[in-house]
Amino acid sequence: MALLRDEDREYLKKEFEKKIRNPVKVLFFEKEGCENCDLVKQILTEVSELHPEIHLSIHDVESDEAKTHGIELTPAVVIEGEKDYGIRFYGVPAGYEFNSLIEGIMDVGAGEVELSEETRKKLGELDKPVVIKVFVTTGCPYCPGAVRLAHMFAFVNDRIKGEMIEANSFPELANRYGVYAVPKVIINEEHSFEGSLPESEFLKEVIKAVGG
Amino acid sequence: MEFFIKKENEKKREYDALVIGAGPAGLTAAIYIARGRFSVLVFEKVIPGGLAATTHLIENYPGFPEGVEGEELGRLMEKQARNLGVEFAMEEVVDVELEGEKKRVKTRDGEYEGKAVVIATGSSHKKLGVPGEDKFTGKGVSYCATCDAPFYKDKKIAVVGCGNSGMQEGLYLLRFVRSIDFIEYFPYIPADRILQERVKKHENVKFHLNHQVLEIVGDERVEGVRVKKRDTGEEKVIEVDGVFIFAGLSPNTAFLNGKMELEDGYVVTDEFMRTSIPGVFACGDVRKKVLRQVATAVGDGAVCGASVVEYLEGR
Ligand SMILES: Cc1cc2nc3c(=O)[nH]c(=O)nc-3n(C[C@H](O)[C@H](O)[C@H](O)COP(=O)(O)OP(=O)(O)OC[C@H]3O[C@@H](n4cnc5c(N)ncnc54)[C@H](O)[C@@H]3O)c2cc1C
Repeated sequence: MALLRDEDREYLKKEFEKKIRNPVKVLFFEKEGCENCDLVKQILTEVSELHPEIHLSIHDVESDEAKTHGIELTPAVVIEGEKDYGIRFYGVPAGYEFNSLIEGIMDVGAGEVELSEETRKKLGELDKPVVIKVFVTTGCPYCPGAVRLAHMFAFVNDRIKGEMIEANSFPELANRYGVYAVPKVIINEEHSFEGSLPESEFLKEVIKAVGG
Repeated sequence: MEFFIKKENEKKREYDALVIGAGPAGLTAAIYIARGRFSVLVFEKVIPGGLAATTHLIENYPGFPEGVEGEELGRLMEKQARNLGVEFAMEEVVDVELEGEKKRVKTRDGEYEGKAVVIATGSSHKKLGVPGEDKFTGKGVSYCATCDAPFYKDKKIAVVGCGNSGMQEGLYLLRFVRSIDFIEYFPYIPADRILQERVKKHENVKFHLNHQVLEIVGDERVEGVRVKKRDTGEEKVIEVDGVFIFAGLSPNTAFLNGKMELEDGYVVTDEFMRTSIPGVFACGDVRKKVLRQVATAVGDGAVCGASVVEYLEGR
């Protein structure tokens, strides 16, 4: 049975048609016995059928592809275009996070993201590697805002990685990072904050985290 | 399983009506305005559906005999509005200019003009304002059950507030947690009887009525709630791993920047949902009123939409 509603499928087809100008590679990483892998695979399959330039490929977590992308957990999704921007989804991109998946695909397909000049400039000046982890649950309406910013930041600066981590799929990880409310954002393992922040505030946290 | 999509549309810079907030009140007003054949743009900073969308189940809104998930109700209301040509701006309103014939609404991304403005921004969970609350926000203190329930599997939690929202969300949390200590300021449970009965069927719940929360205690994380019995003054610490707070709401009116008269932060209207400024209307939880529910928000929205149509038609 199809997961997506017909009306949503139609809407997405039109939006993808409007926005996608470049090929979008959706890489899915799985392993045997992984609890939610089949679900995520089906979501990605249905989405990739909505536009000819969305190319889904499926890899094992032990594959070379996984190594070059630094993927160690499953289910994992990478969205890339002409290069790997550092956009990652761990766990199930459903519920409110489905929107993050869709917007990630559209950004890469459009080859641009909607960030202010100021933000781009400041992100461009960052010369250290940054990993932004955003812990979410699929029932959290405030979470996609944080995921989206992390992914857009990753898009504009190659040193930045933006990772959505759907906490229900990785309870141990959530525990290790002391996640008890979402969204929880962890930058470079050390710096963290809770709640969704507007673009300029989120940026300040990133700059603070790298000691800018 | 749900798959939420934030739907975009082309936007103009000028509309007949600008509606701030896409909760049940704002969406209903927009539906009425659109049916009057006026152009309308609805601003929303989180998701269409509003506070109702973070409610796991709404059981007292007529038409859904089995209850309806808040998210589903929001999605249906949004769809109905879109079908009528209502447009959406998924942006947060940060400032307004309400005087004069042309009103302006500013978001982080731009500025829009309208002949009429509807304020339907609802309310947010109020903090208790006790020591430890801010310190432990995200470390055991939570305000959203649908967001954070999974982190409390088999844990002991407290729910502060035994109104309808506290009890309804408590029922949801009971699917995850080991036990709930309900804490209520009043000597009785304010929630609807039917909810009380359902919560009380569970063996792992306990009620602390007539108790005031003094402090949320812990070291790195929440370890308990210190409460005081209001009549005897007796204090105790209820040991829990987490605290969910559903004790009161505060209106989302900060963006008005003092440009409108407020009472306890709420917008004051007449029975036509008109505010003191001509062409500016308000409906739903943001309004000074007695009952804050989806059904009353929708009722407000209908009156408000009709008043806006009347205003735009120059009657
Ligand atoms: C936990 C809980 C359980 C509840 N259970 C029930 C129930 O079972 N039955 C029932 O009838 N009611 C219930 N309610 C109450 C119900 O949710 C509200 O009464 C109803 O949602 C009010 O609708 P509204 O449109 O006035 O405001 P809201 O639903 O709060 O909508 C306002 C919208 O405005 C947006 N907004 C705010 N500020 C801005 C801004 N500056 N710019 C752009 N957008 C903005 C918000 O994001 C929000 O989406 C519950 C509430 C809670 C918290």
